[in-house]
Amino acid sequence: MAKKYQVTEVNGVEVVGEGVGFERIRRITGYLVGTLDRFNNGKRAEEHDRVKHDSCDCSLTDSRSA
Amino acid sequence: MGKQIVKRDGRKVDFERKKIADAIFRAAQATGGQDYETAQNLAAEVEKMLEDELLCCPTVEQVQDIVEKVLVETGHARTAKKYILYRDERTRVREMNTRLMKVYEDLTFQSSFENDVKRENANIDGDTAMGTMLKYGSEGAKQFYDMFILDPEQAKAHREGDIHIHDMDFLTLTTTCCQIDLIKLFEDGFCTGHGFLREPNDIRSYSALACIAIQSNQNDQHGGQSVPNFDYSMSKGVKKTFRRCFTENLVKAIEIYLEQDDGEMLGKGIISKCEIQTGVWACMAGDNGFDEAVKSELLNHTDEKTANKIMHFVRKYALKEVKRNTYQAMEALVHNLNTMHSRAGAQIPFSSLNYGTDTSPEGRLVMECLLMATYDGLGNGETSIFPIHIFKVKEGVNFNPEDPNYDLFKLAMKVSAKRMFPNFSFIDAPFNLKYYKPNHPETECAYMGCRTRVLGNVYDPSREIVNGRGNLSFTSINLPRIAILSNGDVDLFFKQLDEKIDLVIKQLLDRFKIQSQKKVRNYPFLMGQGVWIDSDKLNPDDEVGEVLKHGTLTCGFIGLAECLKALIGVHHGESKDAQKLGLKIIKHMRERMDEAAEQYKLNFSLIATPAEGLSGRFVKIDRKRYGVIEGVTDRDYYTNSFHVPVYYPISAFEKIRIEAPYHELTNGGHISYIELDGDPTNNLEAFEQIVRYMKECGIGYGAINHPIDRDPVCGYTGIIGDVCPRCGRREGEGVPLEKLKKLGLYKNYNSTTIGYHGDQNEEADRMPNPIG
Repeated sequence: MAKKYQVTEVNGVEVVGEGVGFERIRRITGYLVGTLDRFNNGKRAEEHDRVKHDSCDCSLTDSRSA
Repeated sequence: MGKQIVKRDGRKVDFERKKIADAIFRAAQATGGQDYETAQNLAAEVEKMLEDELLCCPTVEQVQDIVEKVLVETGHARTAKKYILYRDERTRVREMNTRLMKVYEDLTFQSSFENDVKRENANIDGDTAMGTMLKYGSEGAKQFYDMFILDPEQAKAHREGDIHIHDMDFLTLTTTCCQIDLIKLFEDGFCTGHGFLREPNDIRSYSALACIAIQSNQNDQHGGQSVPNFDYSMSKGVKKTFRRCFTENLVKAIEIYLEQDDGEMLGKGIISKCEIQTGVWACMAGDNGFDEAVKSELLNHTDEKTANKIMHFVRKYALKEVKRNTYQAMEALVHNLNTMHSRAGAQIPFSSLNYGTDTSPEGRLVMECLLMATYDGLGNGETSIFPIHIFKVKEGVNFNPEDPNYDLFKLAMKVSAKRMFPNFSFIDAPFNLKYYKPNHPETECAYMGCRTRVLGNVYDPSREIVNGRGNLSFTSINLPRIAILSNGDVDLFFKQLDEKIDLVIKQLLDRFKIQSQKKVRNYPFLMGQGVWIDSDKLNPDDEVGEVLKHGTLTCGFIGLAECLKALIGVHHGESKDAQKLGLKIIKHMRERMDEAAEQYKLNFSLIATPAEGLSGRFVKIDRKRYGVIEGVTDRDYYTNSFHVPVYYPISAFEKIRIEAPYHELTNGGHISYIELDGDPTNNLEAFEQIVRYMKECGIGYGAINHPIDRDPVCGYTGIIGDVCPRCGRREGEGVPLEKLKKLGLYKNYNSTTIGYHGDQNEEADRMPNPIG
């Protein structure tokens, strides 16, 4: 049976999901991994350092001539 | 005399002269000595010297030192030498055992949070019973090979981080990976070793058996399992299912429109008569004359108008049902490939599916359903980790708006923007295109999900195909290390690189020799069921060496960026000169592989190493040895193969331009990644522009990375910073029930618990695309 989240009371308000984290999926060395917890130290560092690659500043034609 | 000595574990035991005499005698015997009496005399000498040196309670090591001294001083030089060798060997074995036991201790008592070894492979849960068992085996095997199997020079190079022998725990056991041709496998059925499976007759059994084939083959190999032609192989199942749906609906329509109680006899009779007459089956396109034949049969039983009504009914519902069946089959496949285990239950198979080029309605339906099932996600809408999807892009087939599968290319990008799969492979890249023969899917370049590529064939140039082939083993070279040791001297760098390449070639050949001596019966599925090319011609006790020659022996490399930094101070993302040198290095490695291939008539190839398990290992050793070198050893990882470093700011297009030429050089496999900002589902044009640019630049295989986050409480999938954009909670915080109710996400199944009960916003999007 699937586990469900407990309803708890915080300041008189019924809430759900206390203590539940977000799931973060990343790709590393070709495979997707469901949670960062299973990356080894090197992979964690690599994921942390990643910068995004800008795709807006140059259109297809511009970059061809560049 | 009551003398005692201290053993290695600290216990004190009585000194026994006989033990010393025995050890000396064994050493003497090794050089041809036979005289035990001399050994006894020498032992007495040792005991005397111990007393002279006033060692009241000597350690084992001290006693051994004295033995050596006595042997040398009394002129027994050869025996002394043997004794020293024997002592060294024992020390090494003892240290190994201690180290292995320490590894086992850590595996047993540390969680994967504390223990990096347990996280070596991110897809194995090192905290489970089976995951830990697998690690015991793996760590034990590695030390066994290090001590007893590997050539000492290779073992040392691996140990010290000059090279990395991948999957060393499987060194004597099996090969890496295989492209499984399901069409061939399913013909006349197959056997998993635990029972025979008939040739499937329905798309649902096709997809179920595809999973079983992948799972069974995974148990015979340590690397990935891929299907090179998933669209073509599943389309046969769709054809069979359509034929069945057509027949069933004809039976139904006859009962309705001809008001017969049992339409079975007439309906099935018409179908089998028409099949014999036309030589074809009912097909989705309805363009092979079968429908007309059925209609003319119906006219023997009814008028034109009713016959038309019947045909309309049959076609409408047969299409509807075949689509539903195919979607369910693909949904089940995605679920199965994410849940069924291999490798003693510790891991799901590394599955990859290549598709994109089958333009038949059946093949197109397979792809559409597979993509939609992936888009929809698993049971709670989660992103599936497997299979890796590889969409084969080909001009004239799916690349341009006028191409028959362009809609599927678009759909593939939409799915990838949400789920990170499919990746995209490019048949038009010149190095792939040269093998391509239209209407021969086996010549369309297919990749292993991780990047491995097998297509050319020096062993048998008449078999330059992907089906039934794969990598045998691969070993990577630590490029930054060589650069550091070259001290800026490029000539010296190439000289040292050549030495390492020589070493790798020899090591790959040694390993191949071991692999070759294995028998068909060692691989009951891979070889026993004829999955590997030509293995169907072998008997269970035949050696597999000859057929293995179709596979690749591959040299890899890691850290080209750090290598260039160490050599000339800049990497290939920063400077044109560095790019020039980078290409020169990789071109040289490729030429060395081509030479080896020619010399041995084996498929030596160069791979852009997928750094699984290796991303942190080399740099750790190098930093210890050479200290922190800026841009080289100052991070916890070396950059993957030829990639521009992940930390370096660069536009997507520039990155593609810089990395593309390396794809041509790395014939054993390659991949380029682009990291996209924001949620790409909102910017599919940018996504498409990048994929198209990859193709234009001659990339062989590429993928776009973007963060996929999910809030399991409200079910939101997308990018989550600190706060979930849907329900507004922070990590670990609760969200008020009222809020969930307002969002329409809470159904009160019982009063005390809640879970994810389906995401209405997302489900509203789930519209199977019409197949046109």
